[in-house]
Amino acid sequence: MAISRSTYGTRRLAMVLFALLLAALFLLPSQSQGLLQYVGGPLGQILSLPLAAFSSLDHGISETWDGYLALQGVREENRQLRRDIELLKGMNNQLRDSVSATQRYETLLNFKQQTSSRTVAAQVIGRDATNWYRGVILNKGESDGVRPEMGVVTPAGVVGRIVKTNSTSSVVLLVTDPNNAIAGLVQRTRDEGIVEGTSHGRARLKYIPLLSRVQPGDRVVTSGLTGSFPRGLAIGGLTQVEKSEGDLFQSAEIEPEVDLSKLDEVLVITAPYEEADAAQKLLQEIHGDRKKP
Amino acid sequence: MKFLLYALLAVVVVPLQTTLLHYVSILGVRPDLGLIAACLVGFLGGELDGLILGLILGCFQDMLSAGDLWINVVTKGGAGFLAGLAGRHMAHITPAVLTVGLVVISCLSSGVFLYAMNPASIDEIWMGVRSTVLVQAGFDAAIGAGLYLVFRRRWSDDRMVTEGAL
Repeated sequence: MAISRSTYGTRRLAMVLFALLLAALFLLPSQSQGLLQYVGGPLGQILSLPLAAFSSLDHGISETWDGYLALQGVREENRQLRRDIELLKGMNNQLRDSVSATQRYETLLNFKQQTSSRTVAAQVIGRDATNWYRGVILNKGESDGVRPEMGVVTPAGVVGRIVKTNSTSSVVLLVTDPNNAIAGLVQRTRDEGIVEGTSHGRARLKYIPLLSRVQPGDRVVTSGLTGSFPRGLAIGGLTQVEKSEGDLFQSAEIEPEVDLSKLDEVLVITAPYEEADAAQKLLQEIHGDRKKP
Repeated sequence: MKFLLYALLAVVVVPLQTTLLHYVSILGVRPDLGLIAACLVGFLGGELDGLILGLILGCFQDMLSAGDLWINVVTKGGAGFLAGLAGRHMAHITPAVLTVGLVVISCLSSGVFLYAMNPASIDEIWMGVRSTVLVQAGFDAAIGAGLYLVFRRRWSDDRMVTEGAL
């Protein structure tokens, strides 16, 4: 009973205090705000720690939840983006290849326009069927006017000569094959010789006169004495000159100007002196007209 | 029908040899798929089959090679025929026997090419043997034995059926 009475008294006291507090809040707002502020400072600090902990937990949960919910879409989106990247990579490679091919074609076209010879552009489609000959296969044949013994060049220099043809393709024997022989000329000294391939995959200028002052670094060009090539096309540079006692001639090793392992497009010389031939024909026609009464 | 198949095989093998095989070259030497095909067919199908396939392959290869027009016809045809003769006199063809046979036939075939190249000195001959003949023989034998191992079961069955029919 005593306890119940005491509890009743406490409750009454609490109610009175609460009423006083409300009255103070309404009647003295600024003072009560200051008091609350004063009391709430340390309390806020105490609360801030669990608040931060709960907040970070909430943030984590929310992030995980959002991530999980969004994961399905992201996964699909990622897959799609990967597909797009692959596609774009492929397109990029194709474009790079196209740019490279266009540049090569441009160089080839410029060379074709500069040269006085009539040429046919061809693409290298394969290598010799055996290991014994250094040759390449072109995609142009007799139907395009390609015939055996015609010269094959790139803007960089001489590649070789045609040895076999059929209607749609032809076989080129490269300048580095030992079975090949092209009339060459040392550009500085004007000494002539025969350029033959060697078994080491290089070329050699043979039959250089003994008194010639050729030296490594000299450039060798076609002499134009054989019908396949016009005069002055680059063959390569001399790397080593050999002169043995008792020999009638000197010989020199040549580093070919053209990288024969990376051939893509070439020009086949179908008529080495087209302009000269045309001029001669014109002269003959003029002379023929004059002779007529 | 068989000859048509051989012609189809040649149509596939020769372009493959000229276009894609440089990717698998060792020291600049490629295996001779024509020789391998002629030898395998010769070993397992007899000298006539080997000879015919060899002639067809050789003819195609000569068209796409800078060498003389006879050289591949003779070497591939001969290789197929020799392989057929060797296969006829063997009770069991094992990968080891096939490897040795391919090495010998490849060396003989390359010898003909070397002779046709008309080397100027003994040094050039040795260089040809070292740099091309031996490398190609090893390559041909390895690929031929590999192909035999892959298709052994099928070929063994065919051979047994053929022998049973005889």
